[in-house]
Amino acid sequence: MTWRKQIVKVVSSRLLQFIIMILVLSFVTFLLMKITPGDPIRTILKVDDVGVTLEEEQELREAYGFNQPILVQYREWLSNAVRGDLGDSLITNRPVMDMITSRLPATIGLAAGGIVMLFIIALPLGMLGAVYENKWPDRLSRLIALAGASMPSFWLGLLLIQLFSLHLGILPVMGRGTFAHYILPSITLGIAMAPMYIRLLRERLIHTLKSPYIEAAEARGVRRSRILIVHVLRGSLISIVTLLGLSIGSLLGGITVVEVLFSWPGMGELIVQAVMQRDYPVIQGYILVIGILVVTANLIVDILYTVLHPQIRYGKEGL
Amino acid sequence: MGLKRLHSILFLSFILLLLSACGGEETSSNESDASTDTNSEERKSLTMLFSFASSSIDPHQDFMGVRAGIAETLVKIDENLEIQPWLAEEYEQVDEKTWKFKIREEVTFHDGTPVDAEAVKASFERAVEENAAVASALKIESIEADGMEVTFTNEEPYPAFVSELVHTNASIIKTDADNISEHPIATGPFKVESFISESEINLERYEEYWDTPAKLNEVTIKFNSDANVRALSLQSGEADIAYHLPPEALDPIESSNKHRVESVPSLRVHFLLYNQASESLQDNRVRKALDLIVNRDVMVEEIMNEHATAASGPFNPDFPFAGDSLTVNYDPEQAEALLEEAGYTKNDQENLEKDGKELSLTIATYQGRPELPLMAQYFQAEAANLGVKVDIVTIEDIDSYLFEKQDEWDIATYSNLTAPRGDGGYFLNVAYLPNGGLNPGQINIEKLNELTHQINRTADPETRNELKKQAVSVIQEEVPHSFLLHPHIIVGVNERVKNWKPGSEEYYLITNTLDVE
Repeated sequence: MTWRKQIVKVVSSRLLQFIIMILVLSFVTFLLMKITPGDPIRTILKVDDVGVTLEEEQELREAYGFNQPILVQYREWLSNAVRGDLGDSLITNRPVMDMITSRLPATIGLAAGGIVMLFIIALPLGMLGAVYENKWPDRLSRLIALAGASMPSFWLGLLLIQLFSLHLGILPVMGRGTFAHYILPSITLGIAMAPMYIRLLRERLIHTLKSPYIEAAEARGVRRSRILIVHVLRGSLISIVTLLGLSIGSLLGGITVVEVLFSWPGMGELIVQAVMQRDYPVIQGYILVIGILVVTANLIVDILYTVLHPQIRYGKEGL
Repeated sequence: MGLKRLHSILFLSFILLLLSACGGEETSSNESDASTDTNSEERKSLTMLFSFASSSIDPHQDFMGVRAGIAETLVKIDENLEIQPWLAEEYEQVDEKTWKFKIREEVTFHDGTPVDAEAVKASFERAVEENAAVASALKIESIEADGMEVTFTNEEPYPAFVSELVHTNASIIKTDADNISEHPIATGPFKVESFISESEINLERYEEYWDTPAKLNEVTIKFNSDANVRALSLQSGEADIAYHLPPEALDPIESSNKHRVESVPSLRVHFLLYNQASESLQDNRVRKALDLIVNRDVMVEEIMNEHATAASGPFNPDFPFAGDSLTVNYDPEQAEALLEEAGYTKNDQENLEKDGKELSLTIATYQGRPELPLMAQYFQAEAANLGVKVDIVTIEDIDSYLFEKQDEWDIATYSNLTAPRGDGGYFLNVAYLPNGGLNPGQINIEKLNELTHQINRTADPETRNELKKQAVSVIQEEVPHSFLLHPHIIVGVNERVKNWKPGSEEYYLITNTLDVE
């Protein structure tokens, strides 16, 4: 039962950290948004399309309360947010909560697709590199990792579209709907993330392969493939899961490029527009939701950690 | 257990790969199904790709309502850029603040309810309530509805009112419908089947359309902000029409016999904006000299790959009020003479100076329109030949910079729609009046201000056009802006698309006459 207690402890301390973090995060975002030049007034008034005078602009600015002190504006946002009201978009007048929840599934779906692709790419290449250390398969695996790391994902995405949609004509260029629509964006995302994991996995595997208990197992005559998969890979998965948990934030950030490229109706498209139009409530809401996602992902990693790592799971009694 | 898990992971990935292959085939077989359907039942469909994504298709908020053929306005501008009745059969100006519109009898909303004056009134009340820009564009004081007749009273004498009604956000929709942002109910030839925010709109023909029903059964509009992806999508056949293609991606499209490229001058103008607060630029001769060193033809050819028209004034030359098309000739010698006249002489470093101060200017530009920074660079090179030092600054949020840092810049590259609804009065008001929303350069030319105020009071279209022409010639004389070119709207079209050409106004993309083979 010790490891259950462990989880309860982790969850409760995390909850406190989480609240503090969200407060700090939302305040810093708010501050940054307000000190960056520009506001949404000109977009709301469509100044580049409709005859508007500077006086009209100023009136609306005051009506929205943008001329009030930042702390007053933040307090108002916070008191609404605590009650679950993230406000309405200044541009579309739609509730921010609706805008986010209607897009969240698409982003999570794509992130999951990207992670699946990541494992499909990184596991074999990492293992290849470790088993054939410094031989040609290792060099090939490192070359692929290097290529993946040097390619910006928007370019990679374009190349994939060119190959699979234009020349082979087997996959759709953009949009979301069928399973086929997931493939190109997921591959793009997977390749963009893979290099780091290939290298990490290779290092971990090489390290573990040289440890005494592996040598002992070999001496006992256990089959090499069994050693590799049961003993070595499982031990190394912990570091992969840790890295995954830590990089959830950058994954969600990196997804934006892929979403824009493939017209994927997720949060990335939403935030790009919102930032360009200075749609404050949407930006705040997005940051809040991403913050919660990242913290939750880290929490899940901590729990997975206790499952994967016997030392943590069984406490000292286990040893 | 670990081994089992790994096996299942590997197995799963294998299945995924298999599925992906099948998924691809499935799509293509669906497509071939669709084409057999077309042969047997004549179900015609088309996919259009557009660059600016809509997060809502509320016609009072977003342009897509009218663009997609879902909603319509009381009046529209035709291909000759003239105003024509649309949902209104006819209209008249009762007095300088009052307008009467007669609504067509046969118009119905997509749910079958007939459109009467009450419905039109309700729609306008909502548009003004929901959209501050529409409210300030229309200046409506009150609306009266009587049978099929709607009477608008403006807050002030407002001759441009009818042209402002072309605004797509002033379209007529059913206001008591649910979920207008995703499923508006209006009067156009197409009704909304489904909408995925910032991704796609699926439309279906409205059979009871008041005019000739649409030729197409269904239309899909997809959004993608990446110009290269749009071009690839057209080439792969996924899209039939792709808007706003980059000039450098046109070669494979132009050379294919399956596609054509349409390139029409837009209602937009790219220009240089001179800051009147900048000391050296207050001298008209300096502005004229800078105007003379810009070779418009070189810009059109080299920067725009021929997809632009050289500009001589703010308005698209097709407008009757565009004024004389006196293209400014590239003439560095005359420029030099003008600067000499203004008191500038060359110093030891071959730079121009006056009273011991070098003529050194800062030009602000932004990446939002990729050709503008190139134009700034070209301008810098030409200015250097003349002996004028130009520094380029690239700004993220150009509007706030220009307004808030007026002492930091001398010239800015800028771009505007100058007569988006067919009436140039809009641009004269915002760009040249001292309190205009688009006048960060503090332009204040008395003669021009007077003309603009006069235009704002004049109702007769002929006189208005005459006054606007006069305004254009004052602008050409005073050079508060250097007009460079009118960029073209570049659209890639599959040859199967019939009866369709992009319009300069970019308001009516999907029409009832649009057809495919």
